[in-house]
Amino acid sequence: MEYYLILARSVTFAQRMQRALDRAGIRSQIFRAPRDLTSLGCAYAVRVAVNDLSPALVTLHKMSLEPIQIFLYQRGLYREVRA
Amino acid sequence: MIYFDSAATTFQKPRTVGAAMQEAMVSMSSPGRGGHPAAMRAAETAFQCRSELAELFHLENPEQVVFTSNATHGLNIAVKSLVPRGGRVVVSGYEHNAVTRPLTALGARIAVAEAPLFDPDAVAAAFDRLVVPGTSAVVCNHVSNVFGFIQPVEEVAAICRARRVPFIVDASQSAGILPLDMERLGAAFIAMPGHKGLYGPQGTGVLLCGDGVNAKTLLEGGTGSLSIQQEMPDFLPDRLEAGTHNMPGINGLLAGVRYVRKRGLHSICDRERRLALLAAEGLRTVPGVRIFALPGLRDQAGVLSIVPEKKDVETVGDALAERGIAVRTGLHCAPLAHRSAGTLSTGTIRLSFSDFNTPEEVYRCLAVLRDILR
Repeated sequence: MEYYLILARSVTFAQRMQRALDRAGIRSQIFRAPRDLTSLGCAYAVRVAVNDLSPALVTLHKMSLEPIQIFLYQRGLYREVRA
Repeated sequence: MIYFDSAATTFQKPRTVGAAMQEAMVSMSSPGRGGHPAAMRAAETAFQCRSELAELFHLENPEQVVFTSNATHGLNIAVKSLVPRGGRVVVSGYEHNAVTRPLTALGARIAVAEAPLFDPDAVAAAFDRLVVPGTSAVVCNHVSNVFGFIQPVEEVAAICRARRVPFIVDASQSAGILPLDMERLGAAFIAMPGHKGLYGPQGTGVLLCGDGVNAKTLLEGGTGSLSIQQEMPDFLPDRLEAGTHNMPGINGLLAGVRYVRKRGLHSICDRERRLALLAAEGLRTVPGVRIFALPGLRDQAGVLSIVPEKKDVETVGDALAERGIAVRTGLHCAPLAHRSAGTLSTGTIRLSFSDFNTPEEVYRCLAVLRDILR
């Protein structure tokens, strides 16, 4: 299974991201970010399907909801990608 | 009991409020403190409550809705964020100790925009004279907790905007009763209790934070975000919400907010004002009572103060309590308001109404008061 994790600065910010994506018809889920993905400590992330990343980022940018980092989950590993 | 002390806290709540609190006790833990269902349910509830409050008070971003434990908590954050030690602050003549005590603790130079009761033009003119460049902040309550006087916050906000002075609104008596538009006011902060006109439980409050406002922390601690960093996050609401959230309170507050939105501010305000007017008109027929209300209750919400000419307010309050009627007596933690109205030496008896009071209760209270004051 492949997906993208969009890291948010807080759970409230992740919820704002999810609402914005919902309104744009993009399905997403909120998760705790795996500990080794970020040096910031505890964080939440919004998970979207691989095909949804581009429209998701456009939607979030329009709403000034900028991610902290973005990761691709592929073959059991996370890899940071650039927006 | 007939409860006419809703300006202190609304006692009768919608049934949904208690049920929501119980639901939270058994299904929600702490928002932002895990990915398990109990934490995520709490996060969803907190976000929903912020979102509905943002809609009610016209804020675009629910992150600017901060949960506090009461209005005093929010006012302390607001005042201490904006006013440096010894700073100059302009306040209305009807402020509560929740404003004047933090200002005093800061050694602020307090200028009072003095104006007679129920004269909003005089209030606006007084602020217009006193708000000058270099003023650290202006604080004005929307409705006086003692007299129900509706102050002209829109005019005061316009003065503040024109002079680039941050404006703090104490909406303790108006939230859930009168319309309040954060965007239109351009206020730096609006503080309110959750447990009065919003019908949430005691121990809840809300601080609405203006766009880009530099909020200072009263508490530091865990937020569930940026845990490695030892400084508090610089973003809201986390910056101002250290420690575990009061989830039973927040879910109860959400139920209260939903009740208010369903009933409509206008309907609630209209009911409370009609009851206050009924009481004021009835009391005019009781000899020896000074009533603080203009005809038709102009510029007044559903809060009514009276002073018996020949009896002490506390004695009358006790006599009412003995006969099952709860009112508030004394200075109501607002000596400045009493100084402005000339009632500092006597205090007042305050009758304050909620959406759950009835005309029959007012008639009963009038009959008892007539008897006590005979």
